Amino acid sequence: MTDWVSRLRNAKKSCLTQGNLKKVHYELEKDLELVEEYNMDTGVLTRRAWRRKANLGGEGDWDVEIGDQEPPRFQKDTWLIKEDPNQPFVTRRITKNILEWRIRNLPYPMEMYSVTADAEKRCLVVRTSNKRYFKRLSIPELDRVNLAPQQDAVQFVHKYNTLIITYKKPPEVIQQEKIIFEDVKNLQSNTNDPNDCKVS
Amino acid sequence: MVGQVSARRAAGVVLQMVRDGRIAGRAVLLAGQPGTGKTAIATALASALGYDTPFTSMAGSEIYSLEMSKTEALTQAIRKSIGVRIKEESEIIEGEVVEVQIERPATGEGTKVGKLILKTTDMETVYDLGGKMIDSILKEKVQSGDVITIDKATGKITRLGRSFTRARDYDATGQQTRFVQCPEGELQKRKEVVHTVTLHEIDVINSRAHGFLALFSGDTGEIKPEVREQINGKVAEWREEGKAEIIPGVLFIDEVHMLDIECFSFLNRALENEMSPIVIMATNRGITRIRGTNYKSPHGIPLDLLDRMIIVPTAPYDQKELREILSIRCEEEDCQLSDEALTILTRISMETSLRYGIQLITTSSLIARKRKAPEVQMEDVKRAYELFLDEGRSVQFLKEYQKEFMFNENEEEENQMEIN
Repeated sequence: MTDWVSRLRNAKKSCLTQGNLKKVHYELEKDLELVEEYNMDTGVLTRRAWRRKANLGGEGDWDVEIGDQEPPRFQKDTWLIKEDPNQPFVTRRITKNILEWRIRNLPYPMEMYSVTADAEKRCLVVRTSNKRYFKRLSIPELDRVNLAPQQDAVQFVHKYNTLIITYKKPPEVIQQEKIIFEDVKNLQSNTNDPNDCKVS
Repeated sequence: MVGQVSARRAAGVVLQMVRDGRIAGRAVLLAGQPGTGKTAIATALASALGYDTPFTSMAGSEIYSLEMSKTEALTQAIRKSIGVRIKEESEIIEGEVVEVQIERPATGEGTKVGKLILKTTDMETVYDLGGKMIDSILKEKVQSGDVITIDKATGKITRLGRSFTRARDYDATGQQTRFVQCPEGELQKRKEVVHTVTLHEIDVINSRAHGFLALFSGDTGEIKPEVREQINGKVAEWREEGKAEIIPGVLFIDEVHMLDIECFSFLNRALENEMSPIVIMATNRGITRIRGTNYKSPHGIPLDLLDRMIIVPTAPYDQKELREILSIRCEEEDCQLSDEALTILTRISMETSLRYGIQLITTSSLIARKRKAPEVQMEDVKRAYELFLDEGRSVQFLKEYQKEFMFNENEEEENQMEIN
C-alpha cells in the first residue's frame, strides 16, 4: 500500500451520488481539500480538484488537476492581470489506460513541437522550435507511485489547433487506482442531494 | 519645499521615530493658520516613509457617511495604516517586456484596455491588464526591453533591469541602469515572496461572503468585530512564531476639528492599543467648540486627547519664502512672470493670503495671453487683482452692500422685533 492510498484512507471523507457520478470530498489535512468525481459505469475519474486555504485566510480558488476548468465566476473588474483568452491553456483527462493533456490554442504545425520526459524534475517538457511556447507538465499520478516519467510512454498529435499529449499508464498506477476505486465504491453516500429542493 | 524650517525639523524627528518604531501609539498635531503648509508636510512625510510603510490620508469630514458608522470608518482607517509583513508563496510572472499596448477609448470615458506581451528565452505570452494594473504600469513607466516581475495577487511590479539584447538601443542610458539576462523557462512561477498587507486588507479577504452570495457583495461595508478579533489573534500568533512582522504606519487626518466628541474618545482608546499607528492630525482652528458638545477647547480637540499629542506649530511664511513658493508654482503652471509682477504678487500674498496669490497666477497669465504678451507684467496682475476679490475685500464689499442682497429684509425685521 502506498503513501497516497493511506493518506486518502485517513482523510475525513464525505460523498454524494448524482446519476452515475459519485463525488467524494476529502479533507486531507488542515486547510487542504480534495474533490474527486467518478463515473461509476466506467470506473474512471472524471474530475479532481484541490483547494488550499490561503495563508491570510479567505477561501482560495479551486485548482483543477483533472477535468475542465471551473467556468469563470462572475467577477467585478477587480482582477489585475490575466492571460489573454486566446493564449494556450492546458486541460487534463484520464482514461483507463492513458493520461492525457490537451493544450488548446496552439496554432503551430506538428513538426514544431517537441515533448520530452525529464526524469530528474519528474515532468514532461513541451517546447516549440520557434520559442513561443514552453511548459513543464507535472505528472501527479506518477509522483504518487514514486515513478519517473519514461520517454517511450509519451505520444503526441496536433489537430484543430490543439496539441494532444498522451502518456501510457504504468501498471503501478493502474493498480493503485483500482484500490482507490474499490474504496470509493464502498463509501456510503449521503442520500439527500443538496440540489434537490423539495417544494413543500 | 520652502520655509517652515522648525516644523520640518520636527517632522524629521517624527519620521525617525516612525522608522525606529518608537512612538507607535502616540499622536502628532500640526497646527497653524490656513495656507502654512500643514498638508504639504504630511504628504512629504508620507513619501519619505517609502513604499513599505502604510500611509492613509483622510479628511475629518470623510467619516460622516450613511453607510457606515463613524467608529467603523475610523477603525477601518486605523487598520489601513497598520501593515503586516509576511512571507507567502505567491504566483509571479517574470519576463522581458516585448510590448505594452494601452488604448484609451476615443470618447475619453469608459475603461482603458491594456495588453502586455512578455517573453522568456523559451516562450512568449499575451496578458490582459486590469484597470489598476494599467495605472501602475504607466506609473512605473514600463517599456519594451525591461525585465520585470509582477506579483499576480497584489499586482506589484518590480523592475529587475534592462535586457542585454537592448543594451545598444540607447547611447545615453543612466548610470543606474542595470542590464540583466532575459529569464528562461516558463513565465509564471511560484515563489516565496515577502509582501506587506494592511490589516484592513486581511479583514476584507476574510469577511467576504462565500460562494453564491459573493455575487451580491459589493463593497464590504462594515466588518464584523468577531472577524477582526480572530485576525488580531492570528496575527499575534504569526508574530510570536516569527512568521510575520508588524509595521505601524501613519494615519493622517486633515481638518481634524471636523471630528466630534465620540470620535475623539474613540481615538483616545484606539491610541492605547499596542497595535496602533501613528496618528498625525492637522487643524487650522484656534480655540473653538468641540463638535458635538458646547465646550470650547484649543483646536476643537478635547484636552485629554490634546495631552497625548506632540504639537507641531506651523508659522506663516515670510516674504522671501512666499516669493519662492510663487515662482515654483509659476513653473508648475507654465507661466512666465516678470520680476516686477512677482514682487507685486508677493506683496499681495503677504497682505491677503498665499492661496489668493496663487489663484492670481493663473488668472493674470490668462489676461496676459489675451493681449498676446509672452510674459505676465505688473498690469496683468493689477487687472486680475481688480477682477477677483480676495477674502478681505469680499467681506468689506458685503458689509457695504448687504442691503442689496436677497433675504436681507427678514433679518432687519428680526432685528426690529428684538428691539421691541
